[in-house]
Amino acid sequence: MTMATDTADSPLTTPANEGGEVAAPPPRPHWLRRLLRDKAAAAAILLLALICLGAVLAPWLAPYDPALNSRAVMKPPSFMQGGVPEHLLGTDGQGRDILSRLLYGSRLTLLIGLVAVGLGGAVGSFIGLLSAFYARLDPWVMRGIDILLSFPAILLGLALVAVMGQGIVPVIIALAVSSVPDCARIARGIAMGVMKQEFIEAGRAVGLSDVTLFQRYLLRNCISSIMIFLSLRFGQIILIGATLSFLGLGAQPPAAELGMMASQGREYLLFAPHIAVIPSVLIFLIVLTANVAGDALRDVLDPRLQT
Amino acid sequence: MKTLSHMSVKRAALRTGLAATAIALAMPAFAKDLTIIREIDSNHYDPPRTAALAGSEVLFMLADTVVGLAEDMKTIEPLLASSWEISDDGLTYTFTIRDDVTFCDGKAMTAEDVAYSLNRWQDPETKSPVRWRMGDVKSITAPDATTLVYELNAPHSELLYQLAQSFGSVVDKETVEALGADFGVTGFNGTGPFCWDSWTPRDQMVMTRHEDYHWGPANYENAGPAQVEKITWQVVPEAATRTVALMTGQGQVSPYVPFIGIEKLRMAPNVEVVRSDEAFWTNYIGFKIDKPMVNDPLVRQAINLAVNQEAMAEDLFFGEVEPAYSYISSGALDWNSDLDDKLLTYDPEKAAALLDEAGWTLNADGKREKDGELLQPLAYTFTGSWAQVVEAVQADLLKVGIDLQIQPFDATVYWGKAATQEFDMFTMGFPYISAGDALNLYFLSANMPSPNRMNWNDPETDKLLYDGATAVDPAVRAEDYGQVLTKVHEAAVWLPIYHKPMQIAYSTEIKPFEAHNIYGAGLYKGLQLGYVD
Repeated sequence: MTMATDTADSPLTTPANEGGEVAAPPPRPHWLRRLLRDKAAAAAILLLALICLGAVLAPWLAPYDPALNSRAVMKPPSFMQGGVPEHLLGTDGQGRDILSRLLYGSRLTLLIGLVAVGLGGAVGSFIGLLSAFYARLDPWVMRGIDILLSFPAILLGLALVAVMGQGIVPVIIALAVSSVPDCARIARGIAMGVMKQEFIEAGRAVGLSDVTLFQRYLLRNCISSIMIFLSLRFGQIILIGATLSFLGLGAQPPAAELGMMASQGREYLLFAPHIAVIPSVLIFLIVLTANVAGDALRDVLDPRLQT
Repeated sequence: MKTLSHMSVKRAALRTGLAATAIALAMPAFAKDLTIIREIDSNHYDPPRTAALAGSEVLFMLADTVVGLAEDMKTIEPLLASSWEISDDGLTYTFTIRDDVTFCDGKAMTAEDVAYSLNRWQDPETKSPVRWRMGDVKSITAPDATTLVYELNAPHSELLYQLAQSFGSVVDKETVEALGADFGVTGFNGTGPFCWDSWTPRDQMVMTRHEDYHWGPANYENAGPAQVEKITWQVVPEAATRTVALMTGQGQVSPYVPFIGIEKLRMAPNVEVVRSDEAFWTNYIGFKIDKPMVNDPLVRQAINLAVNQEAMAEDLFFGEVEPAYSYISSGALDWNSDLDDKLLTYDPEKAAALLDEAGWTLNADGKREKDGELLQPLAYTFTGSWAQVVEAVQADLLKVGIDLQIQPFDATVYWGKAATQEFDMFTMGFPYISAGDALNLYFLSANMPSPNRMNWNDPETDKLLYDGATAVDPAVRAEDYGQVLTKVHEAAVWLPIYHKPMQIAYSTEIKPFEAHNIYGAGLYKGLQLGYVD
């Protein structure tokens, strides 16, 4: 998309004139501008960007090695009573710096979310598009998807971990697999609409191959809507991923992961609540901002919502 | 004195009545039910086949042994045997078995049942991990319904103490045969103060009072039946939740006092903490010494030097435990005090030097490697507080470049996993009163792969242990065991972590009692457990 200039004040756009002629609606401002006009969305995007930046730059930002223990255990954040200035967000039960673990932890948490959504989204969308493209496949594929839909992600995660052993990879696979049915349904829905368009028939009429038709006409027309769905799905995946780690299935020590940090803090909930509360708040913020940002993106990008 | 008017008497009576009702309501119907809170469950409850403390805790209540043990951990009390005689050569024990004992299903118990249970323990088919505790048995027979003859090939000075352990619990042959592998899983039939009701693994074990019980050991004022009608052993893995459960009265007793909460519990007006130092409990991490990662004694010594047990005892256990550098407490019988100044204490620099010497050099990432292979020993552990210990060990080892891998398992799974050859290191804790208690359990070659999970296979050790166990002279025994202690400490087959005291927290609604310490089971028969009137 080329950068459109804001033409609201341009002399070319004239309001409905005296004669009662209805002028064409003013051209819409650029989507980015519309997005940032929504205060909540702008704040959410900014916060999410900050969190992502912190995660990416963790090795440079973290004041300590996240696995390094110390004798200063269960210290509250430095701004609270009993806190020490060396540890801004305090330390956990092993004397590890919570801020450092948070930075590295959000890295892993976001990575799990991104890879799982990417993988699940790609496979799911492909299945959905294919199913819309070849109508004969549709009932079979969709019944299969229905079966997959009946497995909760957590159950799937538990089953996969039982087979593959604990670790990040089984969790990513479980999350990806659990994203497949949702993505497939959404992609199919969008593609069904596109398939009814005349340019598809036109393409067929001029003898384009299935591959070209699929790639150039169907995929390109669906991709933005699918991306919006995925951005919404991202928040959910992060939450389920953190839950699986909380249950001890995902990241293994000494790695830091937000769900695992919350789980470790559970032992200390009565005595040093910050150990569990801080990572939980960050999970909450990531999920919330991802959802708000996804919602806002849909509002400005989804052609079906444009009137 | 002015007499009360008719009205006020009536009102007073009404008030008293209401108060009584209120008390009756406050002292609910479940005042006869007791909940014991524990951290972990056992893998099953078949006496000779489990060495788990969680198993013994329950089995002491479900079944009886030939003799009992008092809280002082020394006095042997009559239990199923009302008396016994020991031959002058120490080889034949003749027990007179009580004739008024019944199983939970009402059937009378005879010497035949005792002989069956002990022979089952001894039977190689049973694969008991604690078979050595019986001594070198020649035969165990029941010539008549009230006589049991226990014959040995060599003297076994600890025999009565060992027969008081839960492994020799007397069980009903018919039930064992009817249930097969499910014995101690779906059902049980013993003569204990409580009877098996139901078991939901990892959740709860429910037992009900054995109404006919009246043969409790003499260390209890109450010989039976038990004071409470029902006991529920509730598994609560999280330390914080256990603390809260005790403070809010969701459970009345817990031998699994979370160290993190102990200060809070001591200060709580409705909870008492009782302690026993009559026996020992040591937690350690063992090495499978024939695994390539840890087969070099230098590496094992380096790991011992790299770990800061003192910091762990203070930071993870709030100073409630004693950091361990020796494999048994130096207060235990037959400890070899020559070893006192040879123990491996915290010295990370020396650890690094030993690793260099062993050929494990630091790579660019700060990790140790040899011939392109990283030093990444795999440790199997219980979940819960053990996982915290292993994580602290992992962090300490990382500082000298060792990349410890951790694989935690729930206790119901762990025992099976720890009996395999899959790991390089494992976590375990054990109760004992003497060096012999500990060494015979862990270092006999016959005890591989479990409980000798180290694969310590040394004929000389086997001989010394046999000589020690059958020695009549205590000095000879101490000398034999002392040599074994030197051998295993020099080989650094363990990384000792801490010695812990027996502490039991209980609600003030419960009558005060003395903590027991038999095999670390602080509540023993449970006959002392009752609500304050």
